[in-house]
Amino acid sequence: MLADALPATIAKGLKESMSNSYLVELKNITKKFPGVIANDKVNFNVKKGEIHALLGENGSGKSTLMSILSGLYRPDEGEIIINGTRMVFKSPRHAISAGIGMVHQHFKLIDSFSVAENVILGDDRIPRVLNMKEIEKNLAQLSLRYGLHINPASMVWQLSVGEKQRVEIVKMLYRGSQVLILDEPTAVLTPQETDELFRNIKEMAKSGRGIVVITHKLHEVEQIADRVTVLRKGNSVATLERDQINRQELARLMVGQEITTQCKRNTRPGTQKVLELQNVSCLNDLGLSGLKNITFEVHSGEIFGIAGVAGNGQRELAEVIYGLRKINSGSILVNGTNITGYSPRQMIDCGVALVPEDRLGTGLIPNLGTIDNLILKDYRKEKMNRGPFINWQKAKQKVSRLVDSFEVKVSSLEAPVKLLSGGNLQRLLLAREISSKPQLLIAVYPVRGLDIKATEAIHELLMGQREKGTAILLISEDLDEICKLSDRIGVLSNGSITGIISSDQADINEIGLLMMGETGAEAI
Amino acid sequence: MILSSYTIEKRLAPSSTAFIFIPVLSIVLALIFGAVFLNLSGFNFIEIYTKMFTGAFGSYYGLTETIVRSIPLTITGLGVALAFRMQLWNIGGEGQLYMGAFAATWVALSFPSGSAWWLLPAMVLLSMLAGGLWALLPAIPKALWGVNEIITTLMLNYVAIFWVDYLVYGPWKDPNGFNFPLTAQFGPGAILPALGNSRIHAGLFFGIILAVLFYIVIYHTRWGYEIRVTGENPNSAKYAGMNTLKNIILVMVVSGAVCGLAGMSEVSGIGGRLQHGLSPGYGFTAIIVAWLSRLNPFAIIIVSFLLGGLQVGGYIVQTSGIPSSMVSMLQGMLLFFVLGGELLTNYRISKTPVTMSGVDNR
Amino acid sequence: MKKFSSKIILAFAALLMVALLTAGCGGSKTENKTAGQSGEPEKLKVGFVYIGPVDDNGWTTAHDQGRKYLEEKLPYVETSYVENVPENPADAERVITQLAEEGNKVIFTTSFGYMDPTINVAKKYPDVIFLHCSGYKNDKNVAAYFGRMYQARYLSGIAAGKATKSNLIGYVAAFPIPEVIRGINAFTLGVQKVNPDAKVKVVWTHTWIDAAAEKDAAVALLDSGADVIAQHQDSPGPQQAAEAVGKFGVGYNSDMGKMAPKAVLTSPVWNWGPFYVQIVQAIKEGKFDSTPKCGSLTYWPGLKDGIIGLAPYGPMVSEETKQLIEQEKQRIISGEWDVFTGPIKDQQGQVKVPDGQKLSDNDMLNMDWFVQGVEGSTK
Repeated sequence: MLADALPATIAKGLKESMSNSYLVELKNITKKFPGVIANDKVNFNVKKGEIHALLGENGSGKSTLMSILSGLYRPDEGEIIINGTRMVFKSPRHAISAGIGMVHQHFKLIDSFSVAENVILGDDRIPRVLNMKEIEKNLAQLSLRYGLHINPASMVWQLSVGEKQRVEIVKMLYRGSQVLILDEPTAVLTPQETDELFRNIKEMAKSGRGIVVITHKLHEVEQIADRVTVLRKGNSVATLERDQINRQELARLMVGQEITTQCKRNTRPGTQKVLELQNVSCLNDLGLSGLKNITFEVHSGEIFGIAGVAGNGQRELAEVIYGLRKINSGSILVNGTNITGYSPRQMIDCGVALVPEDRLGTGLIPNLGTIDNLILKDYRKEKMNRGPFINWQKAKQKVSRLVDSFEVKVSSLEAPVKLLSGGNLQRLLLAREISSKPQLLIAVYPVRGLDIKATEAIHELLMGQREKGTAILLISEDLDEICKLSDRIGVLSNGSITGIISSDQADINEIGLLMMGETGAEAI
Repeated sequence: MILSSYTIEKRLAPSSTAFIFIPVLSIVLALIFGAVFLNLSGFNFIEIYTKMFTGAFGSYYGLTETIVRSIPLTITGLGVALAFRMQLWNIGGEGQLYMGAFAATWVALSFPSGSAWWLLPAMVLLSMLAGGLWALLPAIPKALWGVNEIITTLMLNYVAIFWVDYLVYGPWKDPNGFNFPLTAQFGPGAILPALGNSRIHAGLFFGIILAVLFYIVIYHTRWGYEIRVTGENPNSAKYAGMNTLKNIILVMVVSGAVCGLAGMSEVSGIGGRLQHGLSPGYGFTAIIVAWLSRLNPFAIIIVSFLLGGLQVGGYIVQTSGIPSSMVSMLQGMLLFFVLGGELLTNYRISKTPVTMSGVDNR
Repeated sequence: MKKFSSKIILAFAALLMVALLTAGCGGSKTENKTAGQSGEPEKLKVGFVYIGPVDDNGWTTAHDQGRKYLEEKLPYVETSYVENVPENPADAERVITQLAEEGNKVIFTTSFGYMDPTINVAKKYPDVIFLHCSGYKNDKNVAAYFGRMYQARYLSGIAAGKATKSNLIGYVAAFPIPEVIRGINAFTLGVQKVNPDAKVKVVWTHTWIDAAAEKDAAVALLDSGADVIAQHQDSPGPQQAAEAVGKFGVGYNSDMGKMAPKAVLTSPVWNWGPFYVQIVQAIKEGKFDSTPKCGSLTYWPGLKDGIIGLAPYGPMVSEETKQLIEQEKQRIISGEWDVFTGPIKDQQGQVKVPDGQKLSDNDMLNMDWFVQGVEGSTK
């Protein structure tokens, strides 16, 4: 911007000197996965001594971009420039040797090894004959310099989560990383640990390293970032300097503005409460608080959308309602019956259907055929059976009917479903769940990873169910989708419902703020 | 600079020709490698292979013996394959076989003059019960607390083997047996009938009936459907409301019961008494059988027959002066190549070109 | 993929060539063998079934040396063997049948577990003569044979009794069967002949050959104060364990002094050759008779017949001890005395063999009790 105003020659010189101060430059990075463009001509750079936040919703392409930088993926287009030299990374090891170190959300440590052993693992500069004492001494000095308190001799299994993270950081520092990428580093930390981490990060930046922090938490960006780059749907939408950072703006950049027009609705939601949650709380997989006092209801013929950044309790919410996760307090009612503590089997019998988040991991059995997959929910029912045997003839009839009416494209009914495309898989899943004529349909990220056509088809199916009077709980991270389909929107942030808005009054900025954890009361 | 590197990728769906072609190729390759070794050691490989093959499959006697050998392999193979279907790694087939043999022997010794019409069914039932209970021991901690069944089933093998040793060296020693570690000979009612003058006994029908049952249960019953779903994707099973806990226990017990039956068929069909070293590791070979058969019940019969032949043929060539270590090497080589070929069936090697520019600036 | 498969074919072809090229040297050897066969009158084929590998330096090696001796001494004999045959009925019976099918007229089955299979096969091949080692069943064409190893054990016990200072001798033993129990008893009687206060402590390993388990058992015995380790095992593990801590031992089967020269006093050893020659000769001359003469055994040769003996002594065995052993040996060979001659008491102090009486062969073959001075249980 500044350079544009200056005479061309000076501008050129200035640009060069600027690019020299960049530790890393990513130019026009494009990465496509089947059916999705994860990164579309993304530009991103890291200066010496700065903390650069990379902000975006899940699926916005942050992880892909950083995986490219750390050598896990190769970009389809674009270049990676490290210290002014164009590089193509063959492997993560190659990237590490070029000074790029990534600390993943899931630590890659071996529990039964000591800290020092973990640090030197896979480091080919280490001589064959180990001098552990010497290595431990160096590590102790290194960690002390940045205030990373760890004992190099202790065993990893003895460490807390925060300590493990410090080990990962030290590991990268020990390998001489000039650029350190931290993937959602605070997701697993307590507030105290978070504060300490931020102190350490600042210390490391001071010593001239470039730090990239991947996050979707606005307050963290405010707290530590020198610059922030916002990604949305695979594009880099903006890069802001420290003094330009404010929450409203970031939220707007992150969720975007355009709201698709709502679907045509021929019916109004009914008044019958199909699902009621009253003060429901539960724990997440880490044993921490997952959901906090959730209260809402879904009526017949209504789509209730749950908006929010992934990882704020969406999965827990779906699992709790479906009986896969125990709740600590509160109660759940379906059609007025208290069904708290019911098993999934009882839930199925109560007319609750779930389209799970993880299509192939939970919803379908990848190695089995279409028939086997489509009878998953009703193989027990009498009409499907003959004594202890499954009546395959009937099953086959039903399955071919479903495959036809839901337009699932399969080569044969016996071929493993893992061969199907994402869109077909989701049709298959919906075909099964809808054919059980549910009272309540929970759909979690139903169009994740699907192309536009498939997305439209799935949306039509959901709307069709709504018309038929099914109560639908739609959990999605795509605000467009939520706004387009939902009658009402509940915003989930950090395990709590921060607000419930009727979709005709929905304001994208407001939802954005609610998603960032601003409480509903202020926002409305 | 352009480099290329090879990577191994999983095939989405193994091609049907690969299913046939690769195992055959593996066997041929193993035989060629074996031939090189045999010749370097001064043996004529053509003669040896011919003898091995005709010894196991070419003569009436060899063929019947190969079938005899395949009976316990088929039964235990079916037993462990059932558990494997649900991704329960029952490595305890050997122990369950021993416990089955123990229970069958108990019946036979308790009623030395019992008649076959009730004695044999009682032995079958008791042996299955014993094998099943032996598998129940590791199944309960697995179902309730997720205790790794590989270790528990493996360890219980030794307990069962030593238990049988204790009995044959101690309380069940044949009083007329000069204190040797053998139980008394079973009465005629406790002996499975044999086919003609061969040693093929009624255990063969156990194997065939079980294979058919296995097929019906797995592919045509609700329970089999649950087993398949749970084995392929435990999350789906939970999500569909299946009672995984119950199924773990049930599948393990049935798996153990089938292996227990193999023990009965060995003591009653072959030995006619319980003894130390009853099984030369049938329960372990069963694991290989199950895998090579891809857990298909009918393939288990065929693979057992082939493996049985390999073992029978292995002894036959020894009289030509081939040391048993050389035979073991040949057998090992065949297994190695066939199992290695499995990898090629499900994975493929692909060449990925890598362009590299710039310098590795370290 | 296309390239890949062409490479496979290439590798294939290369291998095939190697195989064919090397085929030449293999073929000639077998040809020689068959040529020699056709030139001479028909040979008497003798087959052997072994429990272990022929190079186990123990039980099986001893039998295999007997086989080689037989072939060397009797030119009309042609032998073959099958090694590593497990004792389960399925395998043993098949291998024995196979040897009969291949035209062997005499078949030695050299492990106890082959007893029932031998009897079963013998019924189907009445023209073949079977010799089963260490069992108790006989038939028209089946004779049970064994060797009076207990005599050599008794002699080795004398060496051990002289060597012990702690008066505790460890005995690593395989299975509590009569053969082993008899050996332990004879050994103990030898020990007590020269050292009435010494005790023999027995540990069962439940394996014939497992070097690690045998070693562990020996170490446990050494730890409990034993300073001489005897064994009824096939590996030299126990002897090596004794040598490692500077103690003594008594080996078994073959001269284990080669493996643990500083420890081994002597080893009771088998020498089957002369017996095998004798028996095959008898069969050839039509003088085979399977009637049991020694208890349940048809043949039970001992020191007198040279079928058992002691391996060369270690340097630590004194002349005086050697002389004493020689004396005892002559006493046994002459037949005036045998090891189990009363008075002998069992562990509870009950008289099992009254003064002046000899234990019958049958009682010896049935032995399931320990003599006084043995620590351990026969279970």
